[in-house]
Amino acid sequence: MKGTHLGEFQEVVLLVILSLDSNAYGVTIKQEIMNKVNRDISRGALHTALSRLEEKGFITSEQGEAHEDRGGRRKRYYTVTNTGLTALHEARSLRDELWSQIPKIKLYPGYGK
Amino acid sequence: MNNSSQPPKFWTRLFQWLCNDTFYEELQGDLEERYVMNAQEKGSRKAKCIYKKEVIKMIRPSVLKKTRTRTRLNNIAMFRNYSIVAFRTLLKNKLFSTINIVGLAISMAVALITIAFVTEINNYDTFHEKGDRIYRVNNDRLYDNRDPGHYATSSILAGQRLRDEFPGIEKVVSVYNSLNGDIISDGQTHSVRGYFVSAEFLEVFTFPLLYGNPETALDEPHSIVITETTAMRIFNRKDVVGEILERNHESFQITGVLKDIPNNSHLKFQALGSLATYQTSERGRRSISDWTNMWSSYVYLLLPEGTTSETAQVWLDQLSVDENNKGPRFNIEMKMESLASIFPGDGKYNQINTVMPKENVRSMIILTLIVVFSACFNYANLSMARSLKRAKEVGVRKVVGARKGQIFTQFIAEAILISILSLGIAYLLFRLIRPEFLELNFYISRTVALDLTTNIYLQFFTFAVAIGILSGMVPAFLMTQFKPVSILKGAVNLGGNRKFGIRKILIGIQFTLSMGFAILVTLAYKQYNFALNFDLGYTTENILNVALQDNDPKLMKNALESVPEVLGASLSSMIPSTGSLNSDIASRLNHGDSINTYSIMVDENYLDNMSHKLLAGENFNTDLVNDQMIVNEQFVEKMGYSSNDEVLGERIFYYNDTFRIVGVVKDFHYGTVYNEIEPFSFVQRTNNFNNVNLRVASNDMVATMSKLSEAWERIDTDHEFNATFFSESIERTYNTLSSSMKTYGMLAIVAISISMLGLLGMAAYAAEARTKELTIRKVLGATVYNLLILLSKNFFVIIVIAAGVAIPLSMQLFKTKVVQDVEYGIEVGFWELASGALLVSFIALITIGTQARKAAKANPANSLRND
Repeated sequence: MKGTHLGEFQEVVLLVILSLDSNAYGVTIKQEIMNKVNRDISRGALHTALSRLEEKGFITSEQGEAHEDRGGRRKRYYTVTNTGLTALHEARSLRDELWSQIPKIKLYPGYGK
Repeated sequence: MNNSSQPPKFWTRLFQWLCNDTFYEELQGDLEERYVMNAQEKGSRKAKCIYKKEVIKMIRPSVLKKTRTRTRLNNIAMFRNYSIVAFRTLLKNKLFSTINIVGLAISMAVALITIAFVTEINNYDTFHEKGDRIYRVNNDRLYDNRDPGHYATSSILAGQRLRDEFPGIEKVVSVYNSLNGDIISDGQTHSVRGYFVSAEFLEVFTFPLLYGNPETALDEPHSIVITETTAMRIFNRKDVVGEILERNHESFQITGVLKDIPNNSHLKFQALGSLATYQTSERGRRSISDWTNMWSSYVYLLLPEGTTSETAQVWLDQLSVDENNKGPRFNIEMKMESLASIFPGDGKYNQINTVMPKENVRSMIILTLIVVFSACFNYANLSMARSLKRAKEVGVRKVVGARKGQIFTQFIAEAILISILSLGIAYLLFRLIRPEFLELNFYISRTVALDLTTNIYLQFFTFAVAIGILSGMVPAFLMTQFKPVSILKGAVNLGGNRKFGIRKILIGIQFTLSMGFAILVTLAYKQYNFALNFDLGYTTENILNVALQDNDPKLMKNALESVPEVLGASLSSMIPSTGSLNSDIASRLNHGDSINTYSIMVDENYLDNMSHKLLAGENFNTDLVNDQMIVNEQFVEKMGYSSNDEVLGERIFYYNDTFRIVGVVKDFHYGTVYNEIEPFSFVQRTNNFNNVNLRVASNDMVATMSKLSEAWERIDTDHEFNATFFSESIERTYNTLSSSMKTYGMLAIVAISISMLGLLGMAAYAAEARTKELTIRKVLGATVYNLLILLSKNFFVIIVIAAGVAIPLSMQLFKTKVVQDVEYGIEVGFWELASGALLVSFIALITIGTQARKAAKANPANSLRND
């Protein structure tokens, strides 16, 4: 296990899983990333990210129902764990803190004029 | 759902193959769902394209199969477990273990011999530093539109011209094969074998000198180089450069002492004389100008680096054409042969030394493989038969988590263990049969020693492991296929009752081979006996041939004749019917006809002594000059004469001389059963004799021999009295037949015993597996005889089929391989063929019978009360 750092893409995946609520499995996650973040990723790349997240304990998965369109194969649904949530919050607060330390003049040229 | 809505099959399969099983279901499901969506939105072509891309992008570490990483941890412990289990199984089934080990050991002993033999053969002539650039020039003698005769020899003239006219050849070595005979030093006679060689010999071949200068040692006439052993023998010291040796009233100065010649050299000698010496003699001077005098000299070439043998072959062709255009008595084509292919060699005439025929090596390898496979079959057969007993073990192992690979390894390891145990026994057997093998025939005894080196031990070991893997493979594979659920439930059917099981086929093959061997041995034995008792057309009984060994023929003949038991004595140049032949082209004087005619030189007593039948004319007349010849009927016929009487008085040009025909003898077999009778002649001579032929009548051969030996010693004290009965010499001639008989005989015994061991095992197993059935049958009233039939029926069918295959096959093999060149062979009848097959069947039925009887006789109560 490589540390518990949350990569940028992994953060996107976590957020997408949360936003999909109980319908987060391979196909929907990939589609959501395409629609919301406008990134076309391969299923293989997604698998790498998911398995890494699972290794870190940020998500868990369980097998779901099968479907004819899937050649009778079962889905695997992903849910974000509390550790995952904490990691997301940490990432966000870390970023917020960094944002807050930057003088507004730098961020918005022409601010206060 | 139509077909187009399914993703490309190949890509799916590819993905399944490379994807880790754990993720396959999820990932493939996702891919397929996505594909179906894409197909609806964008059309199936686009969807397929995307699908393929997705599969390719799946090739990443997180998706791919993880191979083996997890099993590596506790391998040592597992192997220990395997070996413990293997030993327990060995001890538990003593009969089967013994059968396996003994069978493997016997076949491996044969294989060890072959390995040592082939290694040694392939090691010949490898010590020459420039060996890859050394070639020998062979001659193809073309005469009479017949198949060319292949000779290993070339004329001295050819060597000389190659040396002088073809600067592209780095060095040319000429070897004249005749420095044999007696050498005198300080009044002591020593016999020495060697060659006359040109000065380049020591530079081209790697025969290092202990003393003397290799570059000049053989330059001058009357120089001689001897080996260290020979030096020790003659002078009792090694540094003998400068000493003088005498040979044929000529003095030779020793100019060098060689390190002893390695065993693996096709050139074998004790002394080398300078070829310049030979060329000072009158014969030598004559030979140098004669293109067709190619009988006893050899030419070796050393090509410069980068020159191919094809290039040199072109030069040889040029020279051949040039000489053949001069109109010699027959044409010669010269051919290149690399040093490596001289030994083992093919059937060329006049090899400088005995070479091991390539076919002998090949057939030995094939026969060994047959025997080894047969033993492996046994192992596979018995293991498969016994696999039921191990099924539960496999089932438990699988349930606990063993993978297929692990089960496979376990059973292979077990087989290797057995084969290494067998190697131990095989090695002891090898020590036992090695001396027998070396005595087998003169090819073997003259060329190999079967010394064991580290390399050979290593090969033995590798071989044992390979045999283990080979014999364990099929049963191991079978074991891995077991389904744990059905095994543990106790419902296993291993297909043991199928009509054509693999086991039956294996047994059938074994039987076919055993019967084939048995038949071949019977046939070879008959042919051998036939050749020995062949009616030659003259008498060889009670004829004792004494080698003259350079003594005066008349003197020695008179001395030996004085022994009272000698009824008659004659002189001859060689012993007919033992394989050696001399021939030259005989032509009618004042007439165009000429034919190749074989001959021996004899004195006037020979024909009477050997009871040859004169059909016309008379025996040699001693009062007249030595120009008489007596020919056979073939000569008369082939030369174009109409009757035996017409030929009398005819003049024939033969051996550079003119002869007068005085008689005609009835055709007789001067050659062997391999030769047809061709034109032949007895030529009258008073010298050039090598043998005294004594017709002896004696009740006490030992006493007569000592009398003869005494008579010999009155004339010659230097040489041992050397006499051989004619019939013995003939027996020696058919040494090849007798040794192939011995080889086949030995292999037949090995093959038969191995297959009988296998059969014993199978019969025992069959009886054991059907114990319950048999006892119930018995309780219900079956007789012992019924049960015997029941158990032997299956095997009997196999034996009959095997005989049906073996008989025609071995007959064909015997005709095409063993007696292919025999002109006078045996008639192969029904009994010759059937006896071998019957013998094998008989032994087989006894083997099965004993097992079946044991099972049938057993008390039913013993096996039924357990239930």
